[in-house]
Amino acid sequence: MSPLGQRASRIPKLGGKCALILHRQHANLAALSRQLAAIGLDAREVWPTLPADAYEADFVFFDVDMACDDQFPWAPGEAPMPLIALIGSEAPGRIEWAISHRADAHILKPIGSAGIYSALLIALQKFEERRALVEEIAGMRVQIAQRGLVVRAILHLIQQGMSEEDAFRELRTIAMHERITLEMAAQNLVQGIYLRRNRRSQS
Amino acid sequence: MCRADILLGYIGLAEWQLCPAFPEPHGLAEVGFFVFGAPVNKIVRIGILFSRSGDYQIVANASYNGALAAIEAINADPGRPVRFEARERDPQGRIEQYGPLCRELLRDDDVQHIIGCTTSWSRKDVIPILERHGGLLWYPCPYEGFEASDRVIYTHACPNQHIVPLLAYIVPRFGSDAFLVGSNYIWGWEVNRVARDLIGDVNGRVLGERYLSIGDVDVDRLIAEIRIARPSFILNNLIGQSSYAFLRAYARLGQEDEHFTARHCPVVSCNLTEPELPAIGPAAEGLMSVGPYFANPACRDATSPSSDHAAAYAAVVMLADAIEAAGTADAEAVRQILVTKEFETPLGLVHVDRQTQHTALPVHIGRVENGAFHGVWQSESAYAPDPYLSRPGSRILPGGSRLRMVS
Repeated sequence: MSPLGQRASRIPKLGGKCALILHRQHANLAALSRQLAAIGLDAREVWPTLPADAYEADFVFFDVDMACDDQFPWAPGEAPMPLIALIGSEAPGRIEWAISHRADAHILKPIGSAGIYSALLIALQKFEERRALVEEIAGMRVQIAQRGLVVRAILHLIQQGMSEEDAFRELRTIAMHERITLEMAAQNLVQGIYLRRNRRSQS
Repeated sequence: MCRADILLGYIGLAEWQLCPAFPEPHGLAEVGFFVFGAPVNKIVRIGILFSRSGDYQIVANASYNGALAAIEAINADPGRPVRFEARERDPQGRIEQYGPLCRELLRDDDVQHIIGCTTSWSRKDVIPILERHGGLLWYPCPYEGFEASDRVIYTHACPNQHIVPLLAYIVPRFGSDAFLVGSNYIWGWEVNRVARDLIGDVNGRVLGERYLSIGDVDVDRLIAEIRIARPSFILNNLIGQSSYAFLRAYARLGQEDEHFTARHCPVVSCNLTEPELPAIGPAAEGLMSVGPYFANPACRDATSPSSDHAAAYAAVVMLADAIEAAGTADAEAVRQILVTKEFETPLGLVHVDRQTQHTALPVHIGRVENGAFHGVWQSESAYAPDPYLSRPGSRILPGGSRLRMVS
């Protein structure tokens, strides 16, 4: 028994999303465009390069057989949307290149009706997972960089006569009250000490 | 007999397989002869692939009868140039039979069009074979959506034509605490999945979700769970004997506790049709179902006994009309011309959507009274198909307002 409100996942809404297909003119394109239209996406075929507004696209499909780095406005691996590789030749060099662009999903040619919807959903999920991880890592880097501040704040509180345990508890209480991170609380505390010191030295 | 028939007879072709745009490689080019769209009496073999025995034979036989009735009507119509010859295969409800029998029809019987399949499981099994042989499946059953094969013409309802309008009708009237049941395969899983999202949108609750294997009739535990959960309605996606056993047991529960009656906690479904009612018996009273068609008295101009029958009948009529318009039975030519025309069928005047090859269909909701469906709601016009529920408005109440809970 699972109350519905607790469900996290839903059927993603793909209707009206924009997809760019970076592929030379080929019968494969018709099948892909047909299927994307059936799923409800607005698909646009582009070749040889992605247009200036490519950053606005929700998905980019790209040809692994013929495409190269220069056709993308972003550096390999830095696409701001899910990428789906269209693979014909399974030559290791081409697969390696597709991987360098961090394709989130792939479809093997010849392209038929099957596999496109699942590729869209897998790519979307992988891309969001990757983006969440990047954000989490960035946040952790900031935390690590602020470790020194936490140590200084704790030391200050210990100098005020608190035990190490109480100092930690105090810092955590400040963070909770002000609804900020521990690191931000430490920063505020340390800044406060500096401000008081500065005021004292000025007076 | 026109010149074309004489010549075809002369070169030993018993059946018409010609096409101006797609000439057959039967040595016709050698005699320097082509038929340029001239209406000629021609026999087109079509495959019929329904399980006439097995667990879901009642529904499959309804579809089978619809296809055969349409073939008979077309063959008896002197105004039609096309004649059909049915080549039948019976998978007997065994999933592993569909692929080989489909291949036989396409390869050995040389058909390009097959009317058939009931379960999604079987449809998904034959699609790769249709792709390999260039055949078309005319699929006349409701299904869970999220598919648009160019090898399939879908003539029954997809989710925006069944589960969405059904819940739009049920939730405001009975509440949004649902219990979802289904047979343990893709139909039940996916229709219930869509239902969970829709119910979630109105802050409703899914109090339970349970599945039985196809053919499993041990429903006691399911009934016990429903008794404890006390939902405001039950969405039944069980099929065949499991469904009938469940419905009979639920009717018994209703005799013990009035909450579990159609008045307070109805059982609703997207695939219950008329031919199943005798198998359920008196327990069918009050059941509600959604479909593109119900037989008289719930539906106007009822010429078919059920939507299974009507959708299979419609498929054959659409195929005949398309062959006549294209001047050929070639699957690709039929596919191309099909989406440009409207067809007069037992489902009404219908057309096939170019992008998805699904049929635009009216929506009817019926309730069983005295052993027959009586209409309680119907759409003003046909609903354009949206198998991926991706078009604007596809996940909201028809008429524009979102599903609202009034309980």
